[in-house]
Amino acid sequence: MTNISRRTFNGLLGAAGVLSMAGTLSACSGGPKVVVIGGGFGGATAAKYLKRYDPSLDVTLIDADKSHFTCPFSNTVIAGMNDMAYIERKFDVLVNKHGVKVHTDMVVAIDGAAKVVKTKSGQSFPYDRLIVSPGIDFKWNAIEGYDEAASHIMPHAWKAGPQTVLLRKQLEAMPAGGLVVISAPGNPFRCPPGPYERASLIAGYLKKHKPKSKLMILDSKDAFAKDKLFKEGWEKLYDDIIEWVPAAKNGKVTKVNAKEGVVETDFEKFKPAVSNIIPPQTAGKIALDAGLADKSGFCPVDPNTFESTLVKGVHVIGDAAIAGEMPKSGYSASSQAKVAAAAIIAMIRGEKPGEMSAINTCYSLLAADYGISVAAVFAVQDGKIAGIKGSGGVSPMGANYQFRKKEADFAVGWYQSVSQDSWA
Amino acid sequence: MRGIPATLAVCLAFGLALVPAAAKAADPVAVMADACSGCHGTDGHSIGGMPAFSGKKQDELTKALRDFKSGAKEATVMDRIAKGYSVEQLDAIAAYFASRKK
Ligand SMILES: Cc1cc2nc3c(=O)[nH]c(=O)nc-3n(C[C@H](O)[C@H](O)[C@H](O)COP(=O)(O)OP(=O)(O)OC[C@H]3O[C@@H](n4cnc5c(N)ncnc54)[C@H](O)[C@@H]3O)c2cc1C
Ligand code: HEC
Repeated sequence: MTNISRRTFNGLLGAAGVLSMAGTLSACSGGPKVVVIGGGFGGATAAKYLKRYDPSLDVTLIDADKSHFTCPFSNTVIAGMNDMAYIERKFDVLVNKHGVKVHTDMVVAIDGAAKVVKTKSGQSFPYDRLIVSPGIDFKWNAIEGYDEAASHIMPHAWKAGPQTVLLRKQLEAMPAGGLVVISAPGNPFRCPPGPYERASLIAGYLKKHKPKSKLMILDSKDAFAKDKLFKEGWEKLYDDIIEWVPAAKNGKVTKVNAKEGVVETDFEKFKPAVSNIIPPQTAGKIALDAGLADKSGFCPVDPNTFESTLVKGVHVIGDAAIAGEMPKSGYSASSQAKVAAAAIIAMIRGEKPGEMSAINTCYSLLAADYGISVAAVFAVQDGKIAGIKGSGGVSPMGANYQFRKKEADFAVGWYQSVSQDSWA
Repeated sequence: MRGIPATLAVCLAFGLALVPAAAKAADPVAVMADACSGCHGTDGHSIGGMPAFSGKKQDELTKALRDFKSGAKEATVMDRIAKGYSVEQLDAIAAYFASRKK
């Protein structure tokens, strides 16, 4: 291919009567081009499985960072049970073993008409099909006073990385007998059981290292994922530490003053030693900028192919997508990635994409030896992604120590497996 | 050629990029079964605390999955998962994993 001169090639094209294709010729060496934005759970899995399902594809993954720090198990880092290296996923195996091209750069624009992605450093990446898996961004100032600057004082730690380290350091520095506040957002948001797993593991740290401290969860909701199981566990493990305040009891945080360290609900003011504010969320900014999101701030997609209903040729997966009953989780994102990869290959070949089938599981740790889970299998029913009746559900209430310990071990096993399945 | 994108059409016309004929991996059973790998590792090659089942024979896998669905095999989570599939789907998933790399 490389030694066919442009002129010869144009000649051949002319003969074949497809002159207008010159711009896409470079793709021949690697087959059709698929570009993937984001190297998190959705993007990394999509890149790997595109190559697995069709090695001739030319797959380019673009992430803003050199490696990805996973939110799953970041709560164990915050609680001092693991270090940052434990949650760092690198892209080298995707490159060396699976033949994915990886670029470290920020995508700043998607031109859906010209089918080109543009990056901050000025590069352009043409595509035949595009996968967008940028995760979430935050609605700054939805809580009055909570903007990006405030998050450097009162971390959200809802994207793993420097924010995770900051929250960890603040917990280490706080005095015994202090107050920790976690502000939990309303639905929908990334990882519905996440704030409550975090509360549990922080409480475990306080119990050991900061005696007499308290942890308040100020919630914008009156119910949450696996709430009965969490409450059962808290009663056993952290009865004198964790207090959950639902919206109905004025739990909703409406205002913060980060500089003065004040967190407010409509009726009360707190001055916690550590404030972890998890604000309301939208799809990652690039999805909003590219016109992929609707009024909800997330992206409507075809349930079988994850192709955007707003911009043709672009598939949105993971937290950014509106995926019916599937929760915004790493497991969902990676399961959706495989569906989208297969659908894209079918569409490229002019075949009819298959029907979607996916799984979600979220393990949560209440302590190193206390795990609970929720699981479900999903398919398209009446045009929407929904859980299969009779399947799925949460761990049993009232289970014994051995059962909870087993699920805690499986939680670690899950993390090892999904890390391998997505990045290696 | 309808439906095949321009790039592929041009490439195919000149035999420059041949899509492997055996690209069966993207069929619906593969997609259904590969959803399991988030817990069990790619092709069931779990490297950590989850049971690995790569290398198991088809009839062993078939029996395990049917028993999880019926409740005959003890489980923390596999019962909840297996109930999401028909027996025919479980048998197809078992056949798929048995055919993958050991
Ligand atoms: C504390 C916590 C605990 C969690 N625990 C679990 C769990 O136990 N199990 C579970 O399944 N899920 C868990 N989750 C949820 C999980 O983290 C998300 O659902 C998952 O990361 C979504 O994957 P994604 O691909 O949509 O986004 P991400 O994994 O966030 O990946 C997005 C990537 O895109 C990149 N990116 C974004 N914009 C651009 C751009 N413009 N240009 C280039 N790159 C860009 C980012 O750098 C990032 O690497 C947890 C979340 C939190 C916060
Ligand atoms: C939530 C994580 C999870 C998912 C998803 C999952 N499994 Fe499992 N699997 C487990 C666990 C944990 C066990 C051990 C039994 C138990 O505690 O449920 C197991 C056991 C098994 C076993 C028995 C292995 C042995 O040696 O006894 C097989 C086979 C199996 N799973 C196949 C599958 C298939 C096929 C799928 C997809 C349809 C699947 N699993 C999805 C977690 C998972």
